[in-house]
Formats: sequence, C-alpha cells, structure tokens
Amino acid sequence: MADAPALTPVAIRLAGISKRFAHRVKGDLYAVRAVSLAIAPGELLTLLGPSGCGKTTTLRMIAGFEEPDAGTIVIGERDVTHLMANERNIGFVFQSYALFPHLSVFENVAYGLRVQNKPPAEIARAVGDVLGLVGLGGYERQQPHQLSGGEQQRVALARAIVFRPRVLLFDEPLSNLDAKLRVQMRDEIRQLQKRLGVTTVYVTHDQEEAMAISDRIAVMDRGELVQVGSAEALYHRPASEFVARFIGRANLLRGRVTAVRDGAAEVDLGGHGVRVAGDGTVAPGDTVRLVIRPERIAIRPPAEPGLRATVLSRTFLGEKAEYQVGVGDQVLQVAQYSQPDGRTFQAGDEVTLALPSEGVHILAG
Amino acid sequence: MKAFPQAMAARWRRLTRDPLLAGAVVVLWLLLGLFILYPLACLLASVFAEDGALTLRPLLAVAGDPNNRRAFANSLLLASLVGLGGTVLAFLFAFTAARARLSPRILAVLDAATLLPLISPPFTVSVAILFSFGPRGLITYRLLGMNNVTAYGLTSTALAEIVTYFPIAYLTLRPVLAAVDANMENAALSMGATRWRVFRTVTVPLAVPGLANAFLLLFAASLADFATPLILAGNSFPVLPTQAYLQITGLFDLKGGAVLSFLLLLPAAGVYLLQRFWVGRASYVTVTGKAGSQSNAMGLTRTARALLVGGCAVVGAAIVYFYALLLYASLVMAFGANHAWTLQHYRVIFTEGLPAIRDTLIIAGIGMPLGGLYGVLVGYLVARKRFAGRHAMEVVAMINYALPGTIVGIAYLIAFNAPPFEIAGTALIIIACYVFRYSPTGIRATIAQLQQIDRSIEEASQSLGARSGTTFRRVTLPLIMPAFFAGLGVVFIRSMTAISATIFLVSISWTLITVRILENMTEVALGPAAAFSVFVIVVVFVVLVGVRALLARLHAPGGASVETVLGG
Repeated sequence: MADAPALTPVAIRLAGISKRFAHRVKGDLYAVRAVSLAIAPGELLTLLGPSGCGKTTTLRMIAGFEEPDAGTIVIGERDVTHLMANERNIGFVFQSYALFPHLSVFENVAYGLRVQNKPPAEIARAVGDVLGLVGLGGYERQQPHQLSGGEQQRVALARAIVFRPRVLLFDEPLSNLDAKLRVQMRDEIRQLQKRLGVTTVYVTHDQEEAMAISDRIAVMDRGELVQVGSAEALYHRPASEFVARFIGRANLLRGRVTAVRDGAAEVDLGGHGVRVAGDGTVAPGDTVRLVIRPERIAIRPPAEPGLRATVLSRTFLGEKAEYQVGVGDQVLQVAQYSQPDGRTFQAGDEVTLALPSEGVHILAG
Repeated sequence: MKAFPQAMAARWRRLTRDPLLAGAVVVLWLLLGLFILYPLACLLASVFAEDGALTLRPLLAVAGDPNNRRAFANSLLLASLVGLGGTVLAFLFAFTAARARLSPRILAVLDAATLLPLISPPFTVSVAILFSFGPRGLITYRLLGMNNVTAYGLTSTALAEIVTYFPIAYLTLRPVLAAVDANMENAALSMGATRWRVFRTVTVPLAVPGLANAFLLLFAASLADFATPLILAGNSFPVLPTQAYLQITGLFDLKGGAVLSFLLLLPAAGVYLLQRFWVGRASYVTVTGKAGSQSNAMGLTRTARALLVGGCAVVGAAIVYFYALLLYASLVMAFGANHAWTLQHYRVIFTEGLPAIRDTLIIAGIGMPLGGLYGVLVGYLVARKRFAGRHAMEVVAMINYALPGTIVGIAYLIAFNAPPFEIAGTALIIIACYVFRYSPTGIRATIAQLQQIDRSIEEASQSLGARSGTTFRRVTLPLIMPAFFAGLGVVFIRSMTAISATIFLVSISWTLITVRILENMTEVALGPAAAFSVFVIVVVFVVLVGVRALLARLHAPGGASVETVLGG
C-alpha cells in the first residue's frame, strides 16, 4: 500500500454540534456545546483540553459512535451527521487499542478489508505492506496478548490505515505507553500521517504532545471550543487565561490602560508603565490582564529601569534557574537561562524586572 | 421538558438507522410476548375473570377450602424446613471447602458429590429414599427388620429436597465465604478473641447476606418442587404444586389448578422481592472474579477441622449411597424382592421406553441451540445496545425462570390449548417452555461476560466498516462463546431433567423421560424408573463433560462454568 496513489484528502466541517447527557444529580448537562470547526484537507488537528472538556465526545461524534443532539458534521462534501460509524470510512485508533483478542495480528489488520470482501490476494498484500510500514513485518501470526503495549498500538494503527480511510481519528492513543515510547510513537504517527496525507483529528490532554504533533490545536474547556490555532499562536497569543495557563506556564499581571497610540497600549502596572501591542479593543481606563511567559522576563539588579520586585525564592534546574518574585501583592515566575557571566540573585534580593513589549500579550477584561 | 421528545426522536432515529437491531428487538419482543407475557396473562385471566368480568370469587372459593389452606401452609412449612436445613448443609460444605485446607483431590470429590443432585432428575433422591426407608426398604426392612413403616410424609419429603437442592446454595455460598476478608478475622484475633468467638462475631455476620440468599434460593426451589412431594408427600401431607397437578389431571379442573398455582405465586414473588431489594443491598462482601487468597485465612482447630470434614464426609457418603442404590436397583430383577442381576430394565427402557428417550433427545437437541442463541442474543442486546424498553426486556426475559414450574406449565396449558395459538400436544410447546424457562442463565452469563469486554472493541469493528450484524457475528459472538456454551448446556441439562412445567405439556405424540419415570413410579415399576434415571444422569454427565472441555479449549477469560450457572 506504500505505493498506492494518495487519495485526495478531504476536509471535515463541524457546524454547531452539541451533545447533552443526563446527569444523575445535575440534570441535563452539555458534554459538547455548539462546537464549530473546519479541518483542512490533509491537516492534523489536535483537540486539547483537561479531562471532561468534551474532546473525546467531539471525536466520537466525528467517528459516528455518538450522535449529536444538534448541529451537522460534514466529511468531504457529505453530511454524515446521522450516518453510522461503519458508513463513514474513518480509521479510529483507541486509547485501549481495542484489538480483537480472538484474532491474530494478521486477521486484526485484515478485518476491515474482509468486511469489504476484498480478494484474499489483495488482503495479504495490503496487510503485509502496512505491517511493514509500522515496523511489524513478521508479526502476522502473533496473538494480541503476546505483544507489548507499543506493538499493540502499532497493530491498532495498521488496522486503522490499511483500508485507506478518508479520515484518521486518534483518541489519546499514547496514554498507556511509557514516557520514552510516547515520544517515539508520536513522531512515527506524525510521519505516517504526513506520508499518507490523510486528514487527522487527534485527541490528547498532554499539551506537549499536542504541540509536537499538530498542524493546529483546538483547545476545549467545559464542552466549548475556546481557541484554535498553531502551537505558536496559542502560546504567544492566548485568547483567554484558561488557554494561557493550559499551554505552557504563564504570569498574569493586572494593569490599567493609560493611553492607546498607534495600535499599542500603555499599561500601568502599579507605577511602572509597559507598552504592549493592543488587540484593538482596549481603551484608556480599561482594566486588563497581561500574559507574560516566565522566560520573557529579564531579571536585573535594582539600579536598572523596570518593574521593582523582591526575590522570594530561587530554584536551580541546570539549564535554567527559576525565581519566584513578588511585585506588590502578586507573585511572578521568572526563568533565567544559564549564561557564562549570568548574575544570580538570592531570596530577599531587591531586583527590577524588564518586560519586553513583544513578549507581553494583552487579555481584555 | 422538551428534552424528552428529543430523546425519543434520537432513539427512533437510532433504531431506523440500524434496521438489524430494530428487527431483532421486534422479533424478540414478539417471542417474549407470545411465550412469556401471553401465557401469564391467560393464567391471570383464568383466575380473575369470569364471563368477562373481574371477580375474586374463584380465588376466595379455593382459599376457603380447608384442604387448600392446609396445602398452602404445608408448602410454606416444607419450604422453610428445606431452606433452613439446606442452608446449614451448604454452609458446612462451603465453609469446609473454603477453610479446611483440603487437598485439591478431596475438594474435587466433595464437589462431585454435590454435583450429582444438580444433574439428575429432581426425584432421583426420592426414589432412593423409598428404596432405603420404604416398606421393603434396604435400611428399614432388611437392616432393621421393621415392618409396616411408611416413608411418606413431611420428614422424608424435606430430607429428599434438602439433599436435592442444597448444592444450589453451596454454589452461591462458597464464593461468599471465600471472599470474607481474612484480615478482618485476623484483626479480631489480634484483639484477643478466640477462634470460636471470631467465627461467631465476624465470619458468620459477614456471611449473613449470603446465608439469607441461600435460604431464599432453597425456599423458592422447595416451593416450586413438584416431583418430590408427588412421590414422597403422600395423602397426609398435600402441598400446592401437587394439589394443582391433581386438580388438573385428576379432576380435569383447569381453572381450579390455575387458582392453586396462583396461590403459589404469592410466596414466590415475596421471595423474589426479598432477594432483589434486601439481600442485594445488604452485601458486605464483594465477590470479585478472583477468589481471595485463602492461605492466610484463619486456621481451624484440629477438632473443628475433624468435625467439619467428618460432617461433609457423612453427607457426601449419603449422597453416593443414594445414587449407588439407584444404580443397583436398575440392575436387579425387583428391588426388595428378587436381587438377581439383570439388564432387563435397560432392555425395557430401550424398547418400550424408546419413544420417550427419542422424544426427550429430540426436544433437548432442538431446544439447546435455540436456547443458547436466544440467551446470547438477549444478553447482548440488553448489555450493549440502547433501545426503548431495554430494561423491560431484561425483566420480562427472567419471568419464566423465576416462576415456579407449575405456574408456567399451567399457564402454557391454558394459553396454547385453544386458538389462536393452538400448539398444545406438539413438540413446539415443550421446546418453547424449556427455551424461555432455562435460557435466562445464558442471558446472565452473556451479560457478565460482556461486562468484561471493553465496548471499544465493538466500536473498532464498526469503524472498520462492519455493520452491527457483522460485528456481532465476527467479534462479539466469538468473545461470548463461553456464555453461549454454558447457556446451551444448561438448556440441554434442564430439558433432560425437568418435569414441573412440562408434565402439563406432554401428550400422546410427545412425551418425556422424566414423565415416564413418574409413571413407572406410580405403577410401582421401580426397576425401569431407576434405569431411566441412570440413563439421564449418564447422558447429562457426558454433555456436561463435553461442554466443560469445550470451555477449557476456548480458555474463556473469567468464563462462567456450567456448574456455577446451574446453581443460579
């Protein structure tokens, strides 16, 4: 199948899909609420969020295991909202692998082709090819319970791609593997996905995994979609405190806009002014929060200009040192990467913090 | 609330987009309606309706008869005695098995002795008791030289039922006792309690829900038992099932029989409710798949161990003696009179008795796969699919299993003796009775098995393009094979041994071995009765071993064994 011509990738469109479920105590709850999302042909999009945010339910609705209470799902040009999973031509990789325990590796992978009544010769060739592709050539006769977790995951992957689905869906596929294998497998999945050019939706709660594997990330919180964008965009320009805190670490500083000039805002942080690229909506007098990543703050001796602060603690971590510093009644985290002549500070030291304007992102409200 | 119609609409859409599921649900409901709800409705109509009007008159008339009131009281008395005695015996066996640290071989012997009553026709023990304690009995007449003794009445009936049914209680008690946490006992020991005190204050209280459940199971089994009292109770000790039978076969009073069987329904329903809503909630012990490690359970004193093992040995020996006696009686000319060896009785059952053997095997052979399939299908739908009335289906499918056989038999007789569904006298009515009465064990085994199989395995099949029928056939069915075979085995075994319901359903064209045994007993043809019994036990045993070997080959993960399934 490695030589088979690539199929034209398809787009996926979710338009306002919702899913309610009945809760024993709280009554009707939304697992997913009015999620709209366009996934480009050949793109790998990750649904990221804490457990219970609705990401898996969204994925299962795309797969056809759940039916939305409202909204539509379009794959390619076809409205699949009310189609069963077996009519959607999707490959699904489960968190638990879900290999058929009574079938050999070969029969597991061949299953989808057998359902389609493909001729045996073609099945043998396709299964052999795809097992080679995932590095399991020669494993045909093994039973699933004889395989390691990583091998089982590869069989699950092979089974999902062997019949050339138009869409590939992953539900936390790596969460049962150990840390090292997880990194290796995610790179393999990414390479394979690029090679096949198949539109892919990937669910994870691990932000690092999401950033490493995705073209774009869709962050979900309490059933709603909160922001969609590339890893860089989410990191540098989070739309909300939730996203800022969920992707990487973030300091949030309260301030007041004193002036807006040339699209940039002057923000007063208790006596110290910073110039920040505005988002076009803030006006003088607004209270805003500024998102500053720990590594963007420079920590300097007290004589230099900047925000006055006191070192509360310092933790040396090898490549960097982390400081907790007090600014007024707020505590900020600062990461200082080791430099040959780098000056260090101790708890109790008075310091100033420099906030470069391009490293600060403004959140309204 | 507008969520409700939306939910209904979603359910409807789900049904219509999976026509196979919809078809299966509709067909099953039609079958459940025809073979469970309709006969029950006919029975109730016969009890409560006269000339198209509701009335209590037949019920009051039957309840007003002092004879019937005595039968009712006798039934309750007998059931209580059997419940108590059987629970004590079952506890003795279960506690010994769990705590006496017997070697596996001795344990296997213990289990084999308890298995015998489970796989034989229900009146086998009664026959053996007659052989032992009857007017010409081996013990009463030969050994003790007593004359004019009678083996009929409450004592012998209760004894026979205790021996027959205590293995059911043993099977349910054993996991409960094995699961009593040894650490609790050790905690009590460490606080200075003696072993006897720990047993009284910790072990037994923890097992109380299990004991209550065992008592209720035995109570229900005795209440429903028809064959033992028919043989042993005699005229002085009438009970409800036999009264109902005599009312119908002797007096041709179908309505009176229906009303009597309805009286039986009241305590049976009470037992069911107690089990479901009281015992179910009061369990302290969680019985999981793994029996807890028994190595560190509280040890027994030498005397206690000797008493326990001795008690089990006596009971076990008694059971073996009963069955040996049966075998002996089948091999001699006339038990009690002429003890010359002969194969004549076997010749009789394979010539004159051949139609009964043939009919029974045909009926069991047809019912077996049907029952297995039906059990797996209902279990699968109930455990895995979402459709309207799913819970109701589970409950309805259990009804004929929970009801005493006398009620089911009379209900079938009333329902299928007249148009529109006139199938009385055919093999179909007997097969249907067995399938819908004994498949629920298969249903339960299927549900238990499916609860251990992750749902995503079926979703994986679906995502690979398989329709629900294909998924069931290629993925689910192979995985629930153990439940299928266990359910199928139970249907076969019960088809070979049951009598209480089907005695009302046999005809000139279709009869059963168990019915023939009963006829032989009343004609005092004890030899052929014994030979028939031995034949049934051998066939059932062979099938049991076969099913067991099959299950072992499927190496079912946590699979239900036929023995445990028989106990439910």
